[in-house]
Amino acid sequence: MSALVGAELLKLRTTRAWIGFVLIVVALSGISSAAAVGSAQDSVLGTSELSREILSGALFASLIAFLIGVMSVTSEWRHGTVTRTFLVTPRRERVLVAKELSILLVAFGLAALGIAIALVVAVPWLFVENSSLALSDDLVPLIGQIVAASMLWGALGVGVGAVVQSQTPALVGSILWILLVEALIQALLGLIDLEAVAHYLPGQALSAFDGTLDEGLPVWAGGVVGLAWVAALGALGYVRMSRQDVT
Amino acid sequence: MIEVEQLTKRYGSTLAVDDLSFTVEPGTITGFLGPNGAGKSTTLRAILGLVRPDAGRTAVLGRPYRDLDRPIAQVGALLETFDAHPGRSGRNHLRVLAAAGRVPTVRIDELLELVELSESARRRVKGYSLGMRQRLGLAAALLGDPEVLVLDEPANGLDPQGVRWLRDLLREQARNGRTVLISSHVLAEVAQTVDEVVIIHRGKLIRHAAMAEVEAMAAGSTIVRSPDATRLASLLVQEGLEVDSLEESRLAVAAPPERVGEIAAANGVVLHELTTERATLEEVFLQLTASEVSA
Repeated sequence: MSALVGAELLKLRTTRAWIGFVLIVVALSGISSAAAVGSAQDSVLGTSELSREILSGALFASLIAFLIGVMSVTSEWRHGTVTRTFLVTPRRERVLVAKELSILLVAFGLAALGIAIALVVAVPWLFVENSSLALSDDLVPLIGQIVAASMLWGALGVGVGAVVQSQTPALVGSILWILLVEALIQALLGLIDLEAVAHYLPGQALSAFDGTLDEGLPVWAGGVVGLAWVAALGALGYVRMSRQDVT
Repeated sequence: MIEVEQLTKRYGSTLAVDDLSFTVEPGTITGFLGPNGAGKSTTLRAILGLVRPDAGRTAVLGRPYRDLDRPIAQVGALLETFDAHPGRSGRNHLRVLAAAGRVPTVRIDELLELVELSESARRRVKGYSLGMRQRLGLAAALLGDPEVLVLDEPANGLDPQGVRWLRDLLREQARNGRTVLISSHVLAEVAQTVDEVVIIHRGKLIRHAAMAEVEAMAAGSTIVRSPDATRLASLLVQEGLEVDSLEESRLAVAAPPERVGEIAAANGVVLHELTTERATLEEVFLQLTASEVSA
């Protein structure tokens, strides 16, 4: 399995897309960290509330991890490389597991990069403002949450990719789902007083986990439900892939 | 060794492969022939575990492809659809495969050298010509030094030197006891390479024969013209030869011209023409595949 994970990581490194993804994480984490410091009122300087806001910019890593996860599967179909992949590894579940494991590593790296960039921007700036990053006990869980959320989003992306397989529908569909469909489902459920059920949808569950959604499930429950979605999509993706003809 | 047993595959209402059985023995090169759309690629993909049969089974080295321990070292495959990422360099394409198949990296440069791609190896595949893509595909197939080769139209896009190089390579593989199956829709293209042919049409087996046998079919007949064609025809039939009447005074005889001439001379039959008609391999191929259509 380590050979397969190595091969998957090599696949990601040997096309140019990864440079763009890394730059996006760097840019967005940096900008949102700068925006947090720049717009901070004097009253929040030196509080852990500001520190949280600064670090939260690194959550863009989870979006990028999701996209990489989707594309690590869909690009195989798009460019026909899936044929060669399955020739080398005909046990298709192993390919899927290798993709899941490698996206966990990539997401971990991206989240760590995002956090590092956010700090690199914020710490000197706060120093100039005669302030410093307030460290409090709740920052460690926050960092863990950002990293774990990125890994979950990435793994979810691989599952979506395996289920949908076509690149554009998978990417466009995911964005529509998160921005529109879940809200729509929630509204419809609201009509029959089951609005809370929508909190179990993948987008809301993961957003509860990564802290971008205040209402809904508690953080830990968001993580558990998110993990269940990852497993469900992965299983569904495997069922689709395993019986499929590659022509 | 490759085994195909009563393989049937449908795509919707199209029957791509219909109860097809054949075996490819080690140490031989077998040509897998049929017109476009005969079911060749589907059969090869079934052998390679990419397509799931509706009925029947396929095995390589005695096992279904999916159950092979280390496919990269057991079966080398080249399919007609290009399978490298356009944004990846040729070398990196092979690196990915080598990593997944646990093939030592030194092997990559050996193969790039072998298929004469060393100079373009660091360029992105996007800019490769058809011939270069084909050679990269062959390098990928040979990466794990496999015991069995399954190649779909391997000569596609290769120049004449490339075709000869490929032929020598496959011959050597077969000499070393390896199993080689190559598909083509042009019999003449593989005639010099293969030992055996498996001819299919509309998903069905038409003929599995030694190449020599097919060549003998192309040896053709003797055309003889005589003012006394009717008598000559009955004399030839008496000798146990197969005779076709072409037009009033011309006969086609399934025998060498020497034999026909001798029979005519012995019986005092005047001949106006005695020639051999050599069918091309393509004619034999067309005849074989056409006979099935009318059947």
